[in-house]
Amino acid sequence: MQEYIGIAVSFVLAGGIAGAMVFLASWLGEKKPSEAKLAPFECGETPFSLPGGKLAVKFYLTAILFVLFDIELVFLYPWAVIYRTLGLTGLVEMGIFLGILIAGFVYAWDNGALEWQ
Amino acid sequence: MIGPELADIKLLWPELVLVATALGLILSASRIRKGLRASTVTLVAGCASILVYRWPLAEGPRAGFENMIVVDGYSQFFKVLVSSALILIVLLSARRVETDNVRAGEYYALLLLASVGMMFAVSSTDLIPLYLGLELTTICSYILVGTTVEKRISNEAATKYFLLSAFTSALLLYGIALIYGMAGSTSFEAVASFLSDTEGENSKLILVAIGLIVAGLAFKIAAVPFHSWAPDAYEGASAPIAAFLATASKAAGLAVLGRICISAFAEEAHLLSLILATMATLSIIVGSVIALSQTNMKRLLAYSSISHAGYALLGLLPGTPEGVSATMTYVFVYVFMTLGAFGVVTALGRRGERIDGYEGLARQQPVTALLMLIFLLSLTGIPPTGGFIAKFGVILSALNAGYFALAVLAVACSVISAFVYLRVAVIMYMKAPQVEETSSYPLMVSTALLVSALVTVIGGILPGVLNFWEAVPQ
Repeated sequence: MQEYIGIAVSFVLAGGIAGAMVFLASWLGEKKPSEAKLAPFECGETPFSLPGGKLAVKFYLTAILFVLFDIELVFLYPWAVIYRTLGLTGLVEMGIFLGILIAGFVYAWDNGALEWQ
Repeated sequence: MIGPELADIKLLWPELVLVATALGLILSASRIRKGLRASTVTLVAGCASILVYRWPLAEGPRAGFENMIVVDGYSQFFKVLVSSALILIVLLSARRVETDNVRAGEYYALLLLASVGMMFAVSSTDLIPLYLGLELTTICSYILVGTTVEKRISNEAATKYFLLSAFTSALLLYGIALIYGMAGSTSFEAVASFLSDTEGENSKLILVAIGLIVAGLAFKIAAVPFHSWAPDAYEGASAPIAAFLATASKAAGLAVLGRICISAFAEEAHLLSLILATMATLSIIVGSVIALSQTNMKRLLAYSSISHAGYALLGLLPGTPEGVSATMTYVFVYVFMTLGAFGVVTALGRRGERIDGYEGLARQQPVTALLMLIFLLSLTGIPPTGGFIAKFGVILSALNAGYFALAVLAVACSVISAFVYLRVAVIMYMKAPQVEETSSYPLMVSTALLVSALVTVIGGILPGVLNFWEAVPQ
């Protein structure tokens, strides 16, 4: 259990510092509330609505494009670490993978997924 | 140097052709205005994939990609079957894509990619590529079911199909994980040797793992009790897509089950045949009986496809190569007769969706009615058609496995289903026309209907002529 003391200390320190900052900000800070400021923050979406209401699908389109590149990175990173041992085979395989991925991205771009309308 | 892993790509010629075409369609999707051009490209790709199926077999059956993929007579049989189904469905889609305002590039690209997934799955000798192939197929199918965006019923069908399918994919994965946990590998060979070494240890866990994997695959072939998605999905999807789900997708599922039965889980043949016999019994009864009360043609064909899944499973009961061969013949005939029946539904358009719409069809369109009669007779299993030969083979293999009661039941349910199918025939031939004559349909649709009818009839008169290249896995 000895080795966990360091972790426990860093937990307490991190919690303490973060808690102190929140507390100090709300104690010392100036407050000029407005309706927009008091609304919960939700990435541009209306935070509360009845179920069955309409959702803007464009956020999800962007999120899916993000996933496309995120997954690309997941595979590129380990490849980059050992690409010397993989040699030409690895390069060609990665080329095929990226080619297919980029085809998907070109499709999305071509069909207006990047236009914020 | 290029390593051996990359050289193995030569094994996948049919898939490569289809993938390259699909990528081309995806890249040019926004510039495709005419559906006909995209469908022609897809047709050419489908035919090319049939022509190259022998190339990887030049030096006999071969395994590649670290024994994850195998190319043998069995895999190539199903690849050609999937390609043929793809070609016929592209022919049937000719009018649907135009009238339903579907984007042609995406539609055909998704069809191609779904077929690639099936081909990949039937070639797999490892649970991971098998899962990947099936997922590729189902993910493309979700979108295809929902392509007619304006129709509410289509959206509902796609949502239901997606939710249920995602759930059963999780079951399949859980089964794979349990097998990996016990055997330390996902390759069929390693799993088989693990099962032969255990001698009764872990028997409950093995039962759970095999049960989960079979349940996941049973969903793909819509066998009872994993069938509830099929009628809704077929009804909501456009008729060609429903045909795709009912034929190609089901053929691939059965192919995978067949390979698993005979290689990976061969040691547990007794247990497996008990599970499969239960599912086959339920599928045959439920499919035949519920089809009696349908008024929608696509729902009727959905329940028919459920009972046919049950019949196809009968061939897998003995766990022998002869049994698998019976199932292969069954699947071959089933694909063409079901495609034909769905083809008539497509050809008649809105009229073909309801059973009332067939009233007096024989007087208005005698050729269409005759073709439908051939498909209905074959679906029933009446001698001059392929359906009889197929049904005979699987019932015989159920007898060989010692399931006498089940064989009797299968014959009895054939009688019930005869009532279902022949009711449509009676409506076509003995009722006065109620609906105005619909316009004639495109050449591509009639070609597909004729090809399906030809295969169905030749399969019945000269069995073995068409599926001469069928070969069971070793």
